[in-house]
Amino acid sequence: MGSGKVLILFFYLAFAVMPLYWIIITSLKDIKEIYTFPLLYFPSQLGLESYRKLFSFAKFGIYFRNSLLVSALAATGALIVCLISGFGLSRYRLKRSKKAILLGLYFTQMVPGFLLMIPLFTMLSRLRLTDSLGALIAVYGMTVAFGTIMSKSFFDRIPVSLEEAALIDGCNTLQALYHVILPVSLPAVVAILSFEFVGFWNELFLAVMLLSTDTNMTVPVALNSFISKSGVEWDVLSAGLVVALLPTMILFAIGQKFIIAGLTEGSVKG
Amino acid sequence: MKRVCAVVSFVILVMGCLALAQPCAAAEAVKLNLLERYTSPERTAFIKDVVKTFEAAHPNITINVISPPFDQAEAKLNMMINAKEPLDIVEISNLTIKQFVNNGLLENLESRIASWPDAKSWLPLTFSAARFVDNTAYLMPEFYFIKALFMRTDVLKKLGVDTVPTTMQQLYDLSKKITKPAANQYGFAFRGKGNPYRTSDYMILADLPNVDPKNVYRTTDGKLVFEHSQFVKSLKAYIELFKTAVPPDGINWGFSEQVNAFASGVAPLLIQDPDTVALVDRQIGRDKYTVVPMPLGISGKTYLDYGFGGLAIPSYSTNKDAAWEFMKLFSAPKQNAELCKKYGPLPTHAVTYKEDPYFSTGVYKAWAVEMNTPDKYTFVRFPTDSPVFPGWAQVQQQSMQATLLGQITAEEAAAKWAGYWK
Amino acid sequence: MLMPALLLLALRIYLPVVQSIALAFRQYNLLNLSNTGFNGLANFRAVILDPNADFLRILLNTFVWVAGSLILQFVLGFTLALLLCKPFPGRGLYASCVFYPWAVSGFAIGLVWSWLFNGQFGLVNDVLMRLGFLAHPIGFLSNPRFAMMSVIVANVWYGIPFFGIMLLAALQSVPRELYESAEVEGAGKIRQLFSVTIPCVLPVIVSTTLLRMMWIMNFPDIIYGMTDGGPVNSTTTLAIQMINRTYLEFNYGQGAAIGVIIMAIQFTYAFIYLSVSSRSEIEL
Repeated sequence: MGSGKVLILFFYLAFAVMPLYWIIITSLKDIKEIYTFPLLYFPSQLGLESYRKLFSFAKFGIYFRNSLLVSALAATGALIVCLISGFGLSRYRLKRSKKAILLGLYFTQMVPGFLLMIPLFTMLSRLRLTDSLGALIAVYGMTVAFGTIMSKSFFDRIPVSLEEAALIDGCNTLQALYHVILPVSLPAVVAILSFEFVGFWNELFLAVMLLSTDTNMTVPVALNSFISKSGVEWDVLSAGLVVALLPTMILFAIGQKFIIAGLTEGSVKG
Repeated sequence: MKRVCAVVSFVILVMGCLALAQPCAAAEAVKLNLLERYTSPERTAFIKDVVKTFEAAHPNITINVISPPFDQAEAKLNMMINAKEPLDIVEISNLTIKQFVNNGLLENLESRIASWPDAKSWLPLTFSAARFVDNTAYLMPEFYFIKALFMRTDVLKKLGVDTVPTTMQQLYDLSKKITKPAANQYGFAFRGKGNPYRTSDYMILADLPNVDPKNVYRTTDGKLVFEHSQFVKSLKAYIELFKTAVPPDGINWGFSEQVNAFASGVAPLLIQDPDTVALVDRQIGRDKYTVVPMPLGISGKTYLDYGFGGLAIPSYSTNKDAAWEFMKLFSAPKQNAELCKKYGPLPTHAVTYKEDPYFSTGVYKAWAVEMNTPDKYTFVRFPTDSPVFPGWAQVQQQSMQATLLGQITAEEAAAKWAGYWK
Repeated sequence: MLMPALLLLALRIYLPVVQSIALAFRQYNLLNLSNTGFNGLANFRAVILDPNADFLRILLNTFVWVAGSLILQFVLGFTLALLLCKPFPGRGLYASCVFYPWAVSGFAIGLVWSWLFNGQFGLVNDVLMRLGFLAHPIGFLSNPRFAMMSVIVANVWYGIPFFGIMLLAALQSVPRELYESAEVEGAGKIRQLFSVTIPCVLPVIVSTTLLRMMWIMNFPDIIYGMTDGGPVNSTTTLAIQMINRTYLEFNYGQGAAIGVIIMAIQFTYAFIYLSVSSRSEIEL
């Protein structure tokens, strides 16, 4: 590996990790050392006080569990719909309506979420679906546009000949998708699932608006409640950010194995 | 096609289950929903304690405390109350109460307050606050945010300063005197971003002799303050303060940054609300600072905004009497004093200031002075009734920043602001 | 096969969107809900001709914000994906570390980076001064010239993993044989990149850049957390203005009007973008 490449990789890493280092250090500092000047890169003592406060006073464990439930269920549900729809769209034959559908899917991403909130909330309020984790999962799960668009673009690169062979053998389209296409597009599936999960895990605005009862809250809502009129409680917030990063980092860590694995075996033979 | 039906049925089934999952209201049990607006973790814990006490005394009432994060609380309040979500007690801010009253969303509390014995110990200011809109009581004020001057006694001592500024001019001079940019020492913990008008306008207007208490942007003769001959001079003094006693980055200082500048000693003079006391105690400790009343202007007076939050009952609530029972408990002198001690801002009952040493001595003495010396400290209101008020924060912020950066002159700024409020 | 997706989206997006768009043509100010009639283009006129908010400036800011962030993220993300294509020791661990920024909560990014860029207590200033690049601290967020650059840096930090992961996944499906035959024909690395790699991952490039462009345009969290649209409106974009109108000024009608303008710009762009890119795609 050339030294040029090493240098570039180092800079990427430094750039990415710098803020994380800051968050972690802040979470381990004594509260009086957070607001000092000059900056303390290496605090005089490290303590887990912030984490203790996070889990006992702020009852972070409950929110963590809620978020895991919501994100996992919504991401899995959305993924299934997205893969099927993406495949269907990729193999769709009518050019003009295909473009229209695609544009329609992109359209859902054009709508600023903040604007959508008002009619969406009114609608859900009338259906008495507010303040329920189930409703939140359903609403999250319905955001299938991103996954569908991405699946379509990944499936576009997989030759039709692959599933044609399976279809000749007697599978229907869904079976062909499951048995033939998916194993080959594992990197794409894992990538999309990761992004869906992270997106729901970090979603703040919808969660705040829909959820009311304390025990229903999710992680981003809990983190945001450390910001009040009297400023940001950096000690608990940084501890919360570190804990909130763990599932997603683990997911990316496991996921990237699947994403990269394809290289050694999965070159698609035409 | 079969698949479509399956999916649609599934969706409908899920939604049906969710709808059925709503608990049925039992015959006698009453469930109240309380929505906070000035959410903070410590305060929510306190509210829940009071709720526990209340529920113990009223076994058939349960209260669900809804605590959206502070940044989104106003938006959530708006959405819920306009969609007529079940709410029985809501916390309202003085800055936005007007629109709720306009749309008939709040219950008139005059008759209830009239029959409430504890109302007798309310400050006259509290009655003004309660009757903020249309001179009718739509809410029960809970606390006040009133500005005062925080000073880092230890830092100032080290810099050889032992005087307390009592006028704005003295404050400006002191800030400039102690500023040494090379040593990273500045004077004033400036507020440049995030509703800076709530600080800057009072500092500038202190020099005008006749600001109208009903509308801080007009003088008692009906003219706009921006057209007063003194305004531009005071604005220039304020700009001068920024240029000589504040680091250039100060233009982007929000609440966190200005308090951090104070806590780290970089800027030992800070104008802030009483709930900052609890925060600064945690960061540096009570022994390192003190609070003094707001400096006076050339006029020998200074003007103070009395920001407040209070509890109100939505007009469509079905449990108004039960809600009122809780509100009476929460607003009683004892609970109110406890709330303010934990959360920081100023209590609403005169008796608290007289009998509770916490609020009449130490750092809180500054506010006691401000509340009780009406010839020097005049309480004024923002024109929250005006339809252009909601947009003022952004307009003032951006044009003040332009003025501080020298992109427009003070005269141009004053003309622009006058044009906005005409 | 597409029906479930479209049905769900109809409920979740299309239905509410119609109402939102309708709001843009009505007088809808929370301050006075008794007067909510149809008012034609009044909201649009108010928003575009507002004397206190230079609309052209906002459009320009939006363009710089979107184009600057998108181009940098894409180029850096793609480069990262290419670098990670070939195995090296510790690649797995490295990938996990370098991809995490996308996992950070939106509001936290603004908060953290505004501390990093702080003119007094900021890490960026501190590091640059210690390395000798700066003699005095720069007010990254308080100087109108630097503010937009700084928020773009934060956005790029956040967005590189998106392109990195998606393009890395896409690179996996490029057939080895194409590289081998290109090498046989004497094509160097750069030539291979443009004649083999990019055409093969083009669908993914198109979709990721278009999606990310829309997300950048629509999400103001980072700018809000760092500069609140300032200083002096130098970082106010259409999305920020929309939030101001809707949630700070309670003028839902004007907020919706800005939303419609945003959607119109994006729709036009998407239409042109998809048409142009579909011509160079092998199928579609």
